[in-house]
Amino acid sequence: MASASASAQLERAYKRMLIPTFLAVGIFAIVPLVGMIGLSFTDYHLIRGFRGEVGFQNFVRLWTDGRFMESIYVMCALSFIGVAVQIVMGTLVAVGLEKIVPRWRLARGFFVIPFAVPAIVTALVWLSLFTPTLSPINAFFAIFGIQIPAILTTQTGAIAAIVIADTWTTYPFVMLLILAALQGISTDLDEAAAMDGATRIRAFFYITLPLLVPALTMVALFRFIETLKHFPLIFVLTNGGPGRSTQATNYYAYVQTFQSSNVGYGSAIAMFLFFFAGVISLYIAKRNARLADA
Amino acid sequence: MYLKTTRRLMAAALAGAMALQSGAAFAQEKTLKVLLFGMPSTIGLQALAGDFEKETGIKADIEIIGQDVFENRITLSFAGRTGDIDVVHTPAIQVQRWVEAGWINPITDQVDALEDKDDFLKGPLEAYAVEGDTYALPFFAEVGLLAYRKDILEAKGQQPPKTWDEMLSVAAAINTPETAAIALRAAPGQGFNMFVFPALMWAYGGKFFADYPSDLTPAINSPENLKALQVYIELLTKYGPQGVGRFNFPEIVAAVQGGQVAMTVDGTSITSQLVDKEKSPVADNIELALPPSGPAGRFPPIAVHGLAVPSDAKDPEASFKFIQWATSKETMAKIALNQAYPDFTRASVASIPEVVEKYSGIQPNFLDLRVEALNEARGDYRPLISTWPEIGAALGENINGALNGLVTPEAALEKADQEVSDIIDSQ
Repeated sequence: MASASASAQLERAYKRMLIPTFLAVGIFAIVPLVGMIGLSFTDYHLIRGFRGEVGFQNFVRLWTDGRFMESIYVMCALSFIGVAVQIVMGTLVAVGLEKIVPRWRLARGFFVIPFAVPAIVTALVWLSLFTPTLSPINAFFAIFGIQIPAILTTQTGAIAAIVIADTWTTYPFVMLLILAALQGISTDLDEAAAMDGATRIRAFFYITLPLLVPALTMVALFRFIETLKHFPLIFVLTNGGPGRSTQATNYYAYVQTFQSSNVGYGSAIAMFLFFFAGVISLYIAKRNARLADA
Repeated sequence: MYLKTTRRLMAAALAGAMALQSGAAFAQEKTLKVLLFGMPSTIGLQALAGDFEKETGIKADIEIIGQDVFENRITLSFAGRTGDIDVVHTPAIQVQRWVEAGWINPITDQVDALEDKDDFLKGPLEAYAVEGDTYALPFFAEVGLLAYRKDILEAKGQQPPKTWDEMLSVAAAINTPETAAIALRAAPGQGFNMFVFPALMWAYGGKFFADYPSDLTPAINSPENLKALQVYIELLTKYGPQGVGRFNFPEIVAAVQGGQVAMTVDGTSITSQLVDKEKSPVADNIELALPPSGPAGRFPPIAVHGLAVPSDAKDPEASFKFIQWATSKETMAKIALNQAYPDFTRASVASIPEVVEKYSGIQPNFLDLRVEALNEARGDYRPLISTWPEIGAALGENINGALNGLVTPEAALEKADQEVSDIIDSQ
């Protein structure tokens, strides 16, 4: 009896622990989300208000809007290239740190520093590094008569610039998760492989890497969804330019909502983004569950 | 241990409750919430808030935020009807839009009742007239001037360019790998490249619309505008610094101050930083002049900022009192002396001896140049219509695309024309 009531008490305590988060998510995520869904079926304009119901018109318009299509291309370029670069870099640093850990424990702290820098600050620092007249990099190479090309004035360059700045600030996230996963892999496997005469590189590719796949998938998913939400880096680094060639979908939703006052259409773009991210999350989560079962 | 924790928690709760109470008491006093965006003049105004309280007994809580986030902040406040702002910084290019949305109230009667109304510069004041009503009082009128390195021009035997065509030949003559001839705002945006580009457009005889304001058929895709765009692109790509295609005013200021650029055309809030002896190592060599003209005349870039009363302000009379104080001769004179603020909007301030002395230190004819340029500037330099922010963005993006070689100038103007037409039609 006593233990039963104790466990009921414990359960109540656990439930209470969920209340603040439940309220926070409810108020700050669900309510705006429902509002956004509602608005996406209207023509609400910041200045002119509502003029009538539009039903699915906003969503039909998406597929005929060249700027929206271009924005998806930019978003995908930023996400796929960004995630790939971040995974490779984060994993490299994690493996390096794991192998030299006992002696260099403090080094981890060093590698995590960029993760603590706010996005706007990161963007401002990289903006000056990418501005030829301000950049110490350009000044350094100029000594040897080498001119570094301006990166922010071409589409490819501007996308690369966003990826570089994003990677600089987020590879520690990848690194930390991979590091945790590496520590879960028994060193016996490495030792056995070494006894069987496998080189370290072969051991990494045939033993460590396959065991890291679930962790890598998880990290890639997190990063992918984060990169879909690119905003501060675009806002500060490229201003959506050159032209409008780095207006990724999230940025385009902002342009429509705030610059053009088309809240209804902007909400429809945001809805698309929400479901896009949702579908990808579900797909990868399921795939991940299969991998974990296998 | 447990007791200790409980006591600490109680102490924290008590402190919190007290903080809330004092907050409530604070709100009971008359406090005006003033939202401005950061420029030397608004920073100067913020420093004087105490004077306003001394004079009127009303406390002014002046918040200054960055220009880049200002519009979003305002839009959220106004569209959400939060009523949290009593006096709002109102760029003239926004006033039509805000009036149409019903976000600000007319202050016509109070302005007409001002004894010294005529002291306000006519153009800037008229920028706030919408359908016979006045919606704000101007505190800032900035006008574009040419800033050039006289040492560099002299060394190459060049005279400061009087026209944009001359600008091309002067630029060709003085451009070196160390010091590029010219930088102009290039980043896309109605307040960025579209602050400077219309100066070329108008000068070459181009315009935005067929017959503004009665016929708003876009006239972007014209030979005159094409010529202007070609000159703008040639100037920047041939004689501009590396990476100029992404330059905005901060990059221009840094490049001129750093001796990497010899000429620019920009507003007085920017050019005054170039001649500021404390901040600019090249200040002694910078000379200011009227901006270049073209076949159709001279059209200096102009930007006017004012203060308005939001329609959901709690106490509109107190709000106007603040505006009256902030735009008074005394306040403007104080800011003109404390800050880099040659952009005052009252004629009388220009005849105060201390003010004259300060700004003639920059250049003997500085204030005269400013007045001359202001007189030449047209009020509708950027069209005064509610869709301008959207139109300006579309134009700015297409022009930036052409500058960076993404599309040809012809294609950029054609696309811009179409987009402006769509924006007007969707009205």
